[in-house]
Amino acid sequence: MRTWLPVLRDRRRYFAIEVEAEDRVRRTDLASEIRASQTSLFGDLGAARNRLRIISFDGRFGILRHSHERTEECRALLATVHSVGGVRAAIRVRGISGTIKAATEKYIPQSTLQPDENVRRVDSGLVSGSVVRVHGREIDLCPDDQKMTEGSGTRYVGLTSFDLCGEDTDADGTSDGL
Amino acid sequence: MKYYECNLHTLPDGSDSPSRMALAAKKLGYSGIIISNHSPAGVAFRLDAAELVRGIEVAIGAEIVATDQRGLHARAASLRDRADFLAVHGGDERINRAACEDPNVDMLAHPHGGRTGIGVAAAKAAKDNQVAICLDLGPMISLRGGSRVRWMEMVRRDLDLIDKFDLSLMISTSPRSHLDLRSPRDLVALASLLGVERERALKALALPGSIVELNRRRWASVGVEVL
Repeated sequence: MRTWLPVLRDRRRYFAIEVEAEDRVRRTDLASEIRASQTSLFGDLGAARNRLRIISFDGRFGILRHSHERTEECRALLATVHSVGGVRAAIRVRGISGTIKAATEKYIPQSTLQPDENVRRVDSGLVSGSVVRVHGREIDLCPDDQKMTEGSGTRYVGLTSFDLCGEDTDADGTSDGL
Repeated sequence: MKYYECNLHTLPDGSDSPSRMALAAKKLGYSGIIISNHSPAGVAFRLDAAELVRGIEVAIGAEIVATDQRGLHARAASLRDRADFLAVHGGDERINRAACEDPNVDMLAHPHGGRTGIGVAAAKAAKDNQVAICLDLGPMISLRGGSRVRWMEMVRRDLDLIDKFDLSLMISTSPRSHLDLRSPRDLVALASLLGVERERALKALALPGSIVELNRRRWASVGVEVL
């Protein structure tokens, strides 16, 4: 006997989210904050229809599951979250997808490098990304566009400080000569 | 369409520098921001740095805070030539109405701060003077419970009025820090809960950009442009 009929299966959508906050955010705090703003906005009835769950959350990026018919409502309730655990925060929806796999691959950065506040950014016409390592004049760069290293089998782009000289007029990319 | 966040407050009114706001807004998918500080146009921390951020338009507007009608009209007339975009800090019933009666004003910002909304007389005046009404979603994000219920009731009533008189609508969250910013799609989702359809919300987000473009042209007199 089947436990559930395939035609009656719940259809789901997955949000890939990024939490922007002034301090570290714990998963339990995020869950209770989302639950509170959901109940406040839609009540118990709407919350049951939304079927919003946290699938994973690593302190910055996460995956949320919800009902495929209630995407706009869930997006709105995530937008009403303004603090998590007493810390000012904002939830950004990076993308939405039908499977966990696709949501992770498309919208969650796969690099081992956590885009952290101490990392230097480089933004010049062709290349943009975060500096991973600086050794003398050699610079390893984790590019924003993963396609840039395709075919070479490497994860980072190799640059030198000569490439980045004279770019110090750009507020976007703090490339101050290194 | 090009979406604009039309009522940003930066240092010293808010807590972020203009360039930080510009970067955050660009990341969220905006094409431009309008910095409208309460202090007169031009008084903001490091505006020059914001212009270096590529891929986003930074317009300098002003938001007038007035206590009486005469003061408001005088400030609007004096700021008109200097600011790309002129907003009025509403909330008080008299100020809401005075703002709607002034053709120099582009937008009435947060008209739902006080007890009443815009009201019929002000709506009529706004139609005649082409003053846009800003649907400020900030309270929807920051308030909870009874106060948010009252705010929603008031907004619902005013949206009917805006429909009735076919006024132009703008949507903003009046951000004071990058954490108050919400992406255009989030704003559309929030507005749809208040009964603003998707198409209309998208149009409301794109409207400030076209107003700024119009204001930046140099008009010699009504309908005559200096090329």
